[in-house]
Amino acid sequence: MSTATNDVKPEVKMVSVTIEGRTTSVPEGTTIIEAAKTVGVLIPHYCYHPGLPVAGVCRMCLVDVEKFPKLAPACATTVMEGQVVSVHSEKAREARKGVLEFLLINHPLDCPVCDQSGECELQDYTFQEGRAESRYEEPKRFNPVEDFGGDVLYVPNRCILCTRCVRFMGDVVEEPVLNVSERGDRAFIGKAEGHDLTDAWAGNVVDLCPVGALLSKDFLNKARAWELDRSASICTGCSQGCNVTVETRDNTVVRLKPRSNTAVNHFYLCEQGRLDYRWINRRDRLDQPKVRVDGEWRTVDWEDALDAAAAALAGKRVTVLASPNCSNETLFLAERMIARQGGSGVFRVMLGAEAPLRGVEDLSLRAERAANATGARLLGYADLAQGAPIVNANDVLLVLDDVLEGELPTALTGMMSSGAIVVHVGTTLPAVLEGRAQVALPTTNHTEEEGTFTNLRGRVQRFLQARTAPGLARPSWYVMSDLVERLGAGEGRYMASAVFDQLAATHASFAGLSYATLALRGLPVIDAAERDVLAPTVAV
Amino acid sequence: MTYGPSSGQLVRPPEHHHDEPYVPVFTGARRDELDTILSRYPTKMAALLPALWMVQDTYGWVSEPAVEEVASVLDLTPAYVKGVLSFYTMYHQHPVGKHFVQVCTTTPCNVCGAEDVVKAFLEHTGCGELGVTSPDNRFTVIEVECLGACGFATPVMINNEFIESVTPERVARIVAEHD
Repeated sequence: MSTATNDVKPEVKMVSVTIEGRTTSVPEGTTIIEAAKTVGVLIPHYCYHPGLPVAGVCRMCLVDVEKFPKLAPACATTVMEGQVVSVHSEKAREARKGVLEFLLINHPLDCPVCDQSGECELQDYTFQEGRAESRYEEPKRFNPVEDFGGDVLYVPNRCILCTRCVRFMGDVVEEPVLNVSERGDRAFIGKAEGHDLTDAWAGNVVDLCPVGALLSKDFLNKARAWELDRSASICTGCSQGCNVTVETRDNTVVRLKPRSNTAVNHFYLCEQGRLDYRWINRRDRLDQPKVRVDGEWRTVDWEDALDAAAAALAGKRVTVLASPNCSNETLFLAERMIARQGGSGVFRVMLGAEAPLRGVEDLSLRAERAANATGARLLGYADLAQGAPIVNANDVLLVLDDVLEGELPTALTGMMSSGAIVVHVGTTLPAVLEGRAQVALPTTNHTEEEGTFTNLRGRVQRFLQARTAPGLARPSWYVMSDLVERLGAGEGRYMASAVFDQLAATHASFAGLSYATLALRGLPVIDAAERDVLAPTVAV
Repeated sequence: MTYGPSSGQLVRPPEHHHDEPYVPVFTGARRDELDTILSRYPTKMAALLPALWMVQDTYGWVSEPAVEEVASVLDLTPAYVKGVLSFYTMYHQHPVGKHFVQVCTTTPCNVCGAEDVVKAFLEHTGCGELGVTSPDNRFTVIEVECLGACGFATPVMINNEFIESVTPERVARIVAEHD
């Protein structure tokens, strides 16, 4: 606590409060609900969300404040010096029990068929402090399910009218396409006909909804929340580097959810990042090492394949054609190879239209549709769009993952037709390399390995393994490590963290960083401020 | 989204006149009138209620295209306008009869026989049911809460006309006077 106090600028006055018997010191103006979080007390709430303006409509966060005649809503009451707050006093519990009973009056109690079940705050708090049995005997209100457009489905019967979705669209997206229609017990969340939730960031209303009223059509009836395994990861949709949770069921990615990080994406994730995950599960993967012998592909074991690749690379200049979705670790090891043998590295990044989330500073679906173009730049790789390197017939072309998809620019076709030996390290064998590569080494995609990406602001962020590797595929940094080792550099490292440590020791930008210090929130590279210019905003 | 009939609520009529082209309200003199209203408020958004009244005065109800028009003249989204429109029960979201009859049925009037006045209106206008427009499109009858004339039970409002001390016997004549 003392360190927290020291970090705060001197002009901020600190206020001492006691919540559930635990005393804390928070800046003046902090709400009780936020102050409670600092002492590990979660005050039940529905309409409150740290990313949205305070509405105070659900009455769920009522707490007992000493010397207050009435219970106070913790989301809309700021702390005062010496205040003593009781969250679980009998009076407060009784009030919240009453609120829950009202909220459940028109609720269909259809948890067994509801997608939100298992991650529903209405379910959780009712279990925690609601009545065990309903006293309501009258018929319940019924409204039909409505398609809100985009990826969103509205089930009005389950809605508790917390208005988080309305405030998100109004104050964060700044496109108020949702409203509270009618009033009193007839109220529901409405929209105007022909004006759907089509904004690039509208899908976040599904995450914001504390109950099962707003559902993802993509995830509808796909899995129960408690069957999912969750791993911290980074979205590869663009260079923003939004923190995500990869949710898998039986080793298949079924959903991506935003993971809160106030330094990057706050609580949000755009539609593109959210829904573009099916490629992760693709079955047509390269899952065995292959070597071409007399023009025919032969499936071989890893030792033979690595020997063949090392033999092809030994003593040659190497041109690395890298995907900007390769991790810093992989790109670093390839760069080591270039440093030893001569050559150069380029990456090819796809571009798309920018889509900012207007209500949040510096959060946007970026034009560069890859996770680690900045990392590649920091490690000395050049953008293919700025010109292709000259590849001699005597060189080796090392292709790192999926850079040869779609229509190839002339710069690339030139590189491919140079006559150089091609060694491919990637998750799939692209058609263009089918008859061209000499060795194909299968690697895992970013959900099957661990590593780091550097986002456009130079923030280095870790991603963890979420699924198992297909077949014999190995993490790309591991494959590169083996290759570097075989080429005699003695620089092979067999833990991702060790590769990163070596990277941090070699490159000034990454100095002082390690997996331990990055943790799951990431840290900016040491010269991030100057490096901003490395990630220009590309007008498309 | 629709609801069944409940007190004070209109019942969506079976026929809907959505196919007729919508004629904008805020043109010519009415546009000037709106501009005068706008000059009284700090923001355009603040003039939403008067703008909706102007639409209702013109067409008798506020249709979807009217919502779009109001939204565009006040720089709002249609959803926002709809939210406000649906909050207030005095704005009609469906067509109503030429004469909109509101009968007070709150406690004092109820004691003095307002229920029978309502029944008489439903019978004589041909509406048959609360919130339903008569087949000749002349009347719509609804119950309302206190009209503030408890001393003159039962008060009835037909459009902007206020009629006090209505008894079931007077209803036939009142209906006849409103063609």
